[in-house]
Amino acid sequence: MALVGCSAPRRLTRLTRSLASVSSKPPNPHSVGPYQVFDRRAKQLQKDRAAVREGGDRSRLVDYVREEVADRMMERVMDIKRKFNTVLDLGSGPGHFSKMLEPDTTSKVVMIDSSEELLNRDPDSEFEVEVQRIHADEEHLLETIPPNSQEAIVSCLSLHWVNDLPGVLIQIREALQPDGVFIGAMFGGETLFELRTALQLAELDREGGISPHVSPMTDTRDISNLLGRAGFTLLTVDIDEIKVAYPSMWELVEDIKDMGEGNAIIGRRHFIPRDTLAAASAIYKALHGSEDGTVPATFQIIWMIGWKPSPTQPKPLERGTGKTSLKDAL
Amino acid sequence: MTLKTVATQKTSPLRRFALHSTTTCAPQAEVYGKCILATYTDVSKDACKEEFAKFGACLREAVSIYPSVLQY
Repeated sequence: MALVGCSAPRRLTRLTRSLASVSSKPPNPHSVGPYQVFDRRAKQLQKDRAAVREGGDRSRLVDYVREEVADRMMERVMDIKRKFNTVLDLGSGPGHFSKMLEPDTTSKVVMIDSSEELLNRDPDSEFEVEVQRIHADEEHLLETIPPNSQEAIVSCLSLHWVNDLPGVLIQIREALQPDGVFIGAMFGGETLFELRTALQLAELDREGGISPHVSPMTDTRDISNLLGRAGFTLLTVDIDEIKVAYPSMWELVEDIKDMGEGNAIIGRRHFIPRDTLAAASAIYKALHGSEDGTVPATFQIIWMIGWKPSPTQPKPLERGTGKTSLKDAL
Repeated sequence: MTLKTVATQKTSPLRRFALHSTTTCAPQAEVYGKCILATYTDVSKDACKEEFAKFGACLREAVSIYPSVLQY
């Protein structure tokens, strides 16, 4: 009896420990639909944990990339000479962009994010306009927001974790009023290619194979096609780059974790051996390191602006109605 | 903060490992990195095995909780 009494709790703890690394039940990686790349539940947990780590201090410390992008997005919003009643911030996080909105741009901002902890990280007093927070999944926007209801929707660095990007863009277009505007920024292109290549080379050399650690990225070409397919008009798509220097790969990886931007690919490896990590750190430095001893990390941001069609919008003239010959002008 | 104080502070084992991989064992890491850099267009398993063995040995020595004299 004594033996049973002793071994039962131990077995129990071992069981719970082995479950600790299983954050959620991901869909079977071998039988998923075409649009299942990311484990949304794991992503939500990562963001929730990042937001509460050390009372939110770690999360605030790593706001630098998002604040820079929010600032650049503000410039684009200022170009639209219109006063909004409400702006919808999709995938707002704690509101990096929403905090920059001023009363002469909009009277109110509605923030939607799937991570409740991150959504409520910062108090209302940091915002200059009225703020409403909705804890909802960005992928099912139309379940929260009625169609034809929004004047402007912005999304600042959240669409890169969306599985069904074409579907979300269509939902955004549906949620907009006619002549409503959508402005989005997402990580894409060559984002974190240094980390991707360093880890791939390290895994190849140390273990003889590779597994995904950095998300597959969307390309600018894809975005123009997707916006067109979703039914937006007057499209603007461009790409922008932010390079950040880190002391070494370790700091980069730690900051990514604190940003809540860790790996959330379905079927990812939950563990990297230390040998591989040390090798990756050495390769990162040898392959990409700067002369001053730091290592760079590239963040590429794809910007997109699209308008919901409306009869009042300016349209190109019919073919053959031009009165001035280009030959005279040139 | 000196290397010694950081290394002896109660930091997580992974932090200590990270620290040593970029400071104490930086020379070995550089040799290993250069080896991969020379072959990175055609890397196979254990392409730089010897270089990594030295790097790994240095790391194990550095993060060991026993003074190195006991090991010899």
